[in-house]
This record gives sequence, structure tokens and C-alpha cells, in this order.
Amino acid sequence: MKEFKQSIGYFKHYLAPYWKGLLFIILLTVLSTWAQIQAPVYLGKAMTSLSKYLIAYMRPVTHATASLTDFHNALWMILWFYLLSVITMLISSLLTSRINALSTNKMQRGLFKKLQKMTIKYFDSHQDGKILSLFTSDLDNIFNAMNQAIFELISQIILYIGVIWMMFSLNVKLAIATVISTPFVILIAYFIIRKARYYIDNQQDEISKLNGYINEQINGEKIVITNGLQKKSIAEFNTLNEKVRKSTFKGQLYSGMLFPVMQGLSLLNLAIVIAYGSWLVVNGNIAEATGLGLVVTFVQYSQQYFQPITQITSMYSMLQLALTGAKRLSNVLKQPEEKVNALGKKLSKIEQGVKLSNVKFGYNENNEILHGINIDVKKGKMIALVGPTGSGKTTVMNLLNRFYDVSKGNVEFDGEDVRNFELHSLRKNVGIVLQDSILFSGTIADNIKFGLPSATDEQMIEAAKKANIHEYIESLPDKYETIVDDENSVLSVGQKQLLSIARTLLTDPSFLILDEATSNVDMVTEEKIKKAMDNVIAGRTSFVIAHRLKTIVEADEIVVLKDGLVIERGNHKQLLAAKGFYYNLYVNQMVFE
Amino acid sequence: MIILKPYLKQNFAAIIGAIFSVAILAGSTLWQPRLLQTIMKAIIANNRSQVYQYGIQLIVLAIIGIIAGIASTFFSATVAQSVTTDLRAALYRKIQSFSFGNIEKFTAGSLVVRLINDMNQILNLVMTMLTQLLRIPILFIGAFILGILTIPRLWWIEILMIVLILSLSGIVFSRMGNLFGKFQKWLDKMNTVAKESMQGIRVIKSFNQEENETKKFATTANELKNLNLTIGYLFSLMIPLFMLISNFMILMSVYFIGEKIASHPSDLAAIASFISYLMQLMFAIIIGAMTMTMASRGMIALKRVKEVLDTNPDIKFSDTKEKKVASVNADIELANVSFAYPNAKELTLKKISCEINAGDFVGIVGSTGSGKTTLAQLIARLYDPQDGHVKIGGIDLKDIAEKDLRETVSFVLQKAILFSGTIEDNLKQGKHNATDDDMNWAIEVAQAKEFIDGYSDGLKHRIEERSANLSGGQKQRLSIARGIVGKPKILILDDSTSALDAKSEKKVQQALETQLKESTVIMIAEKISSVIKADKILVLDKGELVGTGTHHELLKTSLVYQEIYNAQLSKVGGQINERI
Repeated sequence: MKEFKQSIGYFKHYLAPYWKGLLFIILLTVLSTWAQIQAPVYLGKAMTSLSKYLIAYMRPVTHATASLTDFHNALWMILWFYLLSVITMLISSLLTSRINALSTNKMQRGLFKKLQKMTIKYFDSHQDGKILSLFTSDLDNIFNAMNQAIFELISQIILYIGVIWMMFSLNVKLAIATVISTPFVILIAYFIIRKARYYIDNQQDEISKLNGYINEQINGEKIVITNGLQKKSIAEFNTLNEKVRKSTFKGQLYSGMLFPVMQGLSLLNLAIVIAYGSWLVVNGNIAEATGLGLVVTFVQYSQQYFQPITQITSMYSMLQLALTGAKRLSNVLKQPEEKVNALGKKLSKIEQGVKLSNVKFGYNENNEILHGINIDVKKGKMIALVGPTGSGKTTVMNLLNRFYDVSKGNVEFDGEDVRNFELHSLRKNVGIVLQDSILFSGTIADNIKFGLPSATDEQMIEAAKKANIHEYIESLPDKYETIVDDENSVLSVGQKQLLSIARTLLTDPSFLILDEATSNVDMVTEEKIKKAMDNVIAGRTSFVIAHRLKTIVEADEIVVLKDGLVIERGNHKQLLAAKGFYYNLYVNQMVFE
Repeated sequence: MIILKPYLKQNFAAIIGAIFSVAILAGSTLWQPRLLQTIMKAIIANNRSQVYQYGIQLIVLAIIGIIAGIASTFFSATVAQSVTTDLRAALYRKIQSFSFGNIEKFTAGSLVVRLINDMNQILNLVMTMLTQLLRIPILFIGAFILGILTIPRLWWIEILMIVLILSLSGIVFSRMGNLFGKFQKWLDKMNTVAKESMQGIRVIKSFNQEENETKKFATTANELKNLNLTIGYLFSLMIPLFMLISNFMILMSVYFIGEKIASHPSDLAAIASFISYLMQLMFAIIIGAMTMTMASRGMIALKRVKEVLDTNPDIKFSDTKEKKVASVNADIELANVSFAYPNAKELTLKKISCEINAGDFVGIVGSTGSGKTTLAQLIARLYDPQDGHVKIGGIDLKDIAEKDLRETVSFVLQKAILFSGTIEDNLKQGKHNATDDDMNWAIEVAQAKEFIDGYSDGLKHRIEERSANLSGGQKQRLSIARGIVGKPKILILDDSTSALDAKSEKKVQQALETQLKESTVIMIAEKISSVIKADKILVLDKGELVGTGTHHELLKTSLVYQEIYNAQLSKVGGQINERI
């Protein structure tokens, strides 16, 4: 119940601004439904008057006075009701579409905005795929439900109530005959839906297993070929495929059954109503002419009565998905945001240096990764951080621009704790080149200007030149306007790295963190990267997480980390002379995998 | 559609069942208004026994409808699952017959999409084909004829309605299909922006670009909103319009019947059923139009699947059972070999001739794009050369059975790909009947023993999907172990030790030297230090073989080799290379 409340709260939040429109929609729906359920009454009346006319017409006594006036009046009434229902429906569905589009748009943007404000910790502790499914699955489910179910639900409920009310006011006996089977029908529908859900879940499980297998095999197809494993691969595929066959059948059967069964039950109910109605007429409970009209009216009502039941049962799973989605989204909206510290000091430039004193940190409380680290970087100096995987190198980087905050100790810029600065001013001064160069879909120019969209083309080209990538970009047919994205491989791994160096160069940060890439690039590119890195480091205070020799050798100080502790420090010569851990690493030519 | 034929044939009985039950279902829907009319007549005639009789008939008809509905779902589901399972299996078998070239042409990603998403679409297509495609025409024609039979003089109302509904749904659904396509495109775009911002969150935050990213996202989201509005408005217009048409038709029918009721008194009982037929006619058209829109998506999927099924593997192996290479000395000979990738303008390899003696350690060096990997792939017959021959032990590769060749030549790819499963499962891919001794030997040679011994379950340790629980170095070691577990006569290592530190790399090499003495080892290397001890080094430059010999010979004779060597020497730390 609490979860339900939370889900409803999410919808309330986004729909509240449209309360006037929503109220109007409900009003229109009531009006439209009223018109819809009035029409059959007058259709019945038309029949009755027609039948009376016919009887009068046939009798010689009344032949002359027989008139179709009642019939025409009834038809006029029907026309008005039809028009009223169509017009109100038109207005209300236009309004509904509008509110749907606007509110889902706000939901999408709200979610994205929220995510942008959230802590790195959230992203590190949730898989990208899971976060993305907030967009692709949860928002999508809400979107579908908004378009197809939620407003439909309102109008169907109104219709349902209206039809019942009308039926009982017209003829209690026939009304009872129409509704009596309802519990039974709902029970059947519930049973089928439950079965269908179970088997569809089953089917999805089997299919996702098969998909997982297909994905792995096809992506590793070269291994399959080089090892001649095709037959084995087919055999395993067949086992999984057979399982899918079995589960698909039941899933399709039960989910496919709902519609014909409900349709059939509606027909059966109609048959009962007609049979019972005719019986009432024939047994003289109702006058023939009136009875004929009543039967026609109830034929329509019986169908209108069944419509909401069929609709709501088929919307059931959609609504449930939307509620689950809303719950998840509202959980995300409740997540803590990064503390921007808007009133904090503005860091304009680093004047003295950066200092880590007695820094202790763990990603979760029970697992400390850094056990008291002291590093002091004077302005303009370069520090290299080396150590095996898991030693805490990347963690140090995370603390420097407040992706995470220390548990104990301080990170200080010019003697001031980083937590005292306004976050954006801090990050403006800290440039980062990450290990895997992440680019965004768009042109090369967009990517270089990413950190400083206001940069001129001259500034951009200047940065690209320093990063040793200008020539290559110029060699492309579209030059700086070349589109880069995930799929097309205009850029090699090394070139992507150069581009990300250019991106950082353009923002001209006074403090630089460089996480060297480990991936293999060819000799020429490697040389280019080296030069680009030299260019970006020159004149800046920098922190390099090194994986290769050449960067380290030039560092002012090398800090060797192991298991969260500084085990050696000094410059290249000193450390080699000490013949310690660093010496061994060096002789074994680095690469800390 | 034709490709479905053989699969449909296999399910002949079920299809007949489906057709039969759908026909009954449609028939019962159509007959119901007719019965209603008879009942009305009976009421007017005050014929009690007839009313009972028809009343019961009506109930029976409804029950028949339910049963037929369930039966039709049953048969359709049977056919749909059977057809898609079989087609998917055929597709998979086809892909397994593909060569490197075929795979690269389609790309692995696209093949996965075809096996998964497209097959899903086809499942839906078959399902709707069987449940709707037949039902709609029966309902349409039936309702039309029965409607006319009910009140013949009002035939023109039916025609008028068909014309109106058809043209309206024609306009709406064709526009809708277009809009939905666009909508999907923008939705994908929006999701891409979201995905990229998740992956690049550190970049965004470190450049303070949160607000800009939010704006960028809003632009896409707003584009989507506008489309959404258009689609929504279109739908909002469509449904009331359909209602308006049907309502007017009903009203017109009632009016025209009423006006002439004196001369056609029996029409009184027919009004309700005539209205029902009009409604059935309308729904048949609307559902038909919707089904067509859906089916067109399925057809596209079918076309994409057909494209794969129609592709022939571009390498065909000799189907001889005889193990030819197994018995001969595995000298390799390349004679005048030229090769170009499909659609490439330039040759990747140009007239290469060389010989590699069995048991030698051979290095291939050259800059990126010089054709090193391509050359090695030709030896494993992953591609066929356009010109020239590749022979092992004097036998042309084209005359060797696939199994025979794979057992003789083992190729360890540059990118170490492992499959989810145990370490043992992965090793056995190299030799399906490998014993524990074989595997222990292989992991020792590949320097993987140390970390595997660290697992309490040893070789039974599970590798996660995408090998998430292994480092790059560990993956490469296992990939090498898999390559050597079958003790192949020829082992090709395509830069397979790049993620290993120098010490481990050296250990692997030493172990290969002592443990695989008989085997020819061909090693593609970025670093000259890796192949400095080779019996023979092949130097490639822009697809040409520009030098052959040992390290010392090449230092004297090959200019290209000298350049590469000097470039690597001059690097800081180059002296280390020398030391190793």
C-alpha cells in the first residue's frame, strides 16, 4: 500500500500542474458518457414508436392517424446525443493528448536533470544498463500507460457506472440479468491474466537466456570459427531454442486467449440478456412494443457494459508496469544530490599547490581503500602515481575533484579544504583526462568544445594542434564537422585519446589529473600521445596516474601506492637506486594488469 | 514470405486447425445478429416456443464462439512458436557456416539483432497472420453480404460507410506509420543521449557541463514531445471521427427503415441486426488497417532474415574425411599471395611468397595496417587469397577438411574473448576431450596457473559474462592456454601477449619453446623485443614482404626493420628492451 501511495505520489507530482485541465477532462468525459448511454434509450424509443406506428398503421381504425412524429423526435434526440458525445469526446481526447505529451516530457526532463545532479557514487554503484532502463523501460511504460490506459481507465469507470445506473433505471430485471455474470467473468479474466503473466514471464526468462547465449556466441564468432566449434555451438543453441519453443507456446496461448474469451463471454452475456428479455416479453411481463425497444436498448447496453470490463482487464498489466515504473522513478528522485556548496569560496586559480594529508577513504564504510595518504604537490610540479591494480590510484583521483569525499583527513587546494569551495569553481580548475576516452555523439568540433562551448574555432584548432590531432582531423572529408558516434570508427582508440586531451587543453585548467590509458596503440600514435601529454602537462600542476615508463621518468616526484598505502616515494633515480618495489616494476616494464 | 513456406508446411495440420477455428469464430460472430433478428421476429409474432428455441441457439452460438476462439489461439500459437523456433534455428545454423568475411560484412551486432529482435517481429507476424489475416476478410465479406441480405434496399449505406471508413483509415494509418517511424527514431536518439551521459558522467561533471547536457537532452525530449502531440492529436481526431461516421450510418439506417416501414413491416425486426452488421463491417476495416501496419514491420524483419539465409559462406571447405595434414610435416608455403578485403580498393597483401619450416619460431613485424594479421589469417584459412596459394605440408588449404585444419592450426586472436562458463569449458573449446593433465599443462605454459590456483575451485571457476571478473592479462593468458591445449602443429599468436608484463611474456615464450618444441609458432608482435629470438622474422610494409631473416640479419639488410627498431629503441626506457 505504501508503495502504491508512492507511485501515485509520482503521478500526482507531475499531473498536479494540469489540475484544471484534468478536471475539465473528467467533466467532459461525464458529459460524453452521459450522451453515450442516453442514445440507446432513444434508439429503443425509436423502435417502440416505430412498432406502435406500424400497429396503428395496420389497423384500419387508426390507419389515418398513424404518425411517425414520435419516431422522428426520437431520431432527433439520438442525433443530438451522438453529436454531443462525439464533440465532448473530441475535446477531451485532444486535451488528454496534450496533457499526456507535456507531462511525460516533464517526467523525462525531470529524470535527466535529476541524474545530472546526482553523486558519482550513485553511478558507480548502479550499472549503466539499470539506470538507462529508467528511460527505456520505466518511463516508456508510464508513457504507454498514460497514452492508452490511465485516462481510458477514468472514462471506462465512468461509462461502467453510467451504464449500470441507466440499466437499473430502465428495467431492474433485465439489468440484473446483464450484471449477474460479472463476478464470474472477472474471475475467468483474472485467472487467464495470472496464467498469462506467469507463462509470459517464463517465456521472457527463456528468451533472455537464449538471447544471452546468442549475443555471446555471435560476438565471439571468430573464436568459434578458429576453434571449429560451430557444431557444438549449434547443439547448445538448439537446447535453448527448444526451451523457448515450449515456453513461447504457453505464453502465446494464454495471452492470446484473453481477447477471444472476453469477446465470447460478452457475446454469451448478450445472448442471455436477449433470451431473457424475449422471455419477459413473450410471457407478457412487458408490452410487446415496449419490450422490443427494451431488448434493442439492452443489446447495446450489454455491449457497453462489457467494454469497460474487457478494457480494464487488458489494461491491468500495463497499469501495473506503470505503477512499478513510477515507484522506481520516485525512488531515484529521492536520491541525494551532489553538494554544490553554492555559497562556498570561489577557486579562481591554484597559487600554491595541492595537498592530501592523512587521507582515509573507502567506497563503503566497512572497506577502507586508502589508509592515510600524504601527498604534496607544489604549483607547477608533476606527480606520478604508480602501483598495481587495486592499489588505490584511481581512488586518489576521485577525491581530488570531489567525485567522492574523504572519510578522514583533508584534500587541500592552496591550504583550503576542497569541501569549502564552490563545487563548479573547483572543477573548473581541475582538468581530467580519463583512462578510456569517452566521446559524445556529435561532431569532432562539438567534442573538443565540450568543456567550453563558447570557444572560438581558432581556440579549438589551437588545442587540436597541441594535442597532435589537427592534421588527422584535417585529412577527414568533413574535417571538424565529422560526426563521431559509437558505431562508426572514424577514430582509433589512440585518436580518441588525443581528442580527449584536446578537449581538456581547451579549458586550460590550472590543475590536471591524467589517467593514462593502458590500451595498446601503435608506435606512431603512442609517440603522438606522448607529445600531446607533454603539451598538456607543461606549466601546470599535475597528477599523472601512470601505466607506462616514459611518463614516470620525467615526474618531479613518483609516489608508489600499494594496498592503499604509500610505500615508496622519490624521483626516478632515487627509486631505482633504492632497488625496492618500484625497481621491480620498472624492470618488468610496467603495465600493471 | 516465401522463406516461411517450408516451415509452414511442417505445421500443415495445425494451420488447417487454425483456419478452421478462425472461420468458425468469424462465422459465429456473423451469425449472432441474424439470430437476433429471428428472435425479434418471434417476439413480434409472439411465438413463445420459437423464442425459447432461438434463445438457446444464441447461447449455444456464443459458447461455440468461445471454444473456437480458444482453439484458434491454440493452433496459431502452435504454428507461430514452431515456425519461429525452426526459422531461428535455421538462421543460427546458417550463421555458423559463415566465414570471417561474412561475419564482418553483416557485423556481429546486426546478426544478433536479426536473431533476436527480427525473429520477435516474425513471431508476432505469424501470430497475427493466423488470427487476424483470415478473420478480417471473412468478417468483412460476411458482414457485407449478410447486411445486404438483411435489408437489401439499404445496400448503399454499407457502401457509403466502407468508402468513408476506408479512406479515413487509409489517410490516418499511412500518416501514422510515418509518424511512428519518426517517433521511434527520436526515442532512440533520446535514449542515446541518456546513455552517453551515464557513461560520460565523470567527463560531464569534471567539465561542469551538467546544465548544457540537460539542455541538450531537453532539445531531443521536446522534439519527441512535438511528435507525440501530433500523434496524439491525430488519434484524438480519428476515434471520434470513426464514431461520428458509424453513428450517422446507424441513424440513417434507422431513418430510412422507419420511413418505409409501412411497406416493409418485417424490417422492424431487422433494424438491430442491420446495425450490428454495420458495426462489424467498420471494425473489420479498422482492425484490418491496424494489422497491416503491424504486418509491414514483420515483413521488414522477414526480409532482413532472408538476406542472411540467402548468403552463401564465402569459404567452403573440402568435405573429405581423410586427415591429410595430420600425417605430413607442417611446412608452410605461401606462393605469390595477394589479398584484398571485400569492398576495399587496395590490396592488403601484395604478392607475398615465403616459406616457414615446421617447428620454427617465426615473428611477423610491421606498422599498423601493414597486413600482419591478414597474413596470419590466410594461413589459418580464415580468408581465401584472391591470388596465389597457401599450402601446409605441400597441400593446398582448399583441399583440407575444416576439422583437420583447425586441429592443425591454432589461432589466438588479438582480442581475448572468453565465454561465460567455467575455465575448463573455455579450455575445452581448444580440444573437446582435453584431460585434466592437458589443461594443467596448458595453463602452466600460458602462465595462468598462478591465478587459477588462487581460486578455491581451480579450473571449475566460473567466468562471468563479458569476462567481467578477469583482468586483461588474465583473459589473454587463458586465451593462449585455450590455443595450445590441443598441442597444435601450428600456433599463431596475434599480438596475444600485449596485456602481459614483460616478465610474464618472456616466461610464456620460454615455456612455448621448451614445451611446444615440435610446433611452428608464428607470432605477430608490436614490440621487436618479443620476437628478437625468432628463427625467422617477416617484415611487412604496406602489404609487401620487405624483409626476411633473423634479428641480426635484418638489422643489416632491412631498412624498414631498422626504422622500427630504432623507433622503439629511442623511446625512453628502450634500453630495457635491449636488456631483455
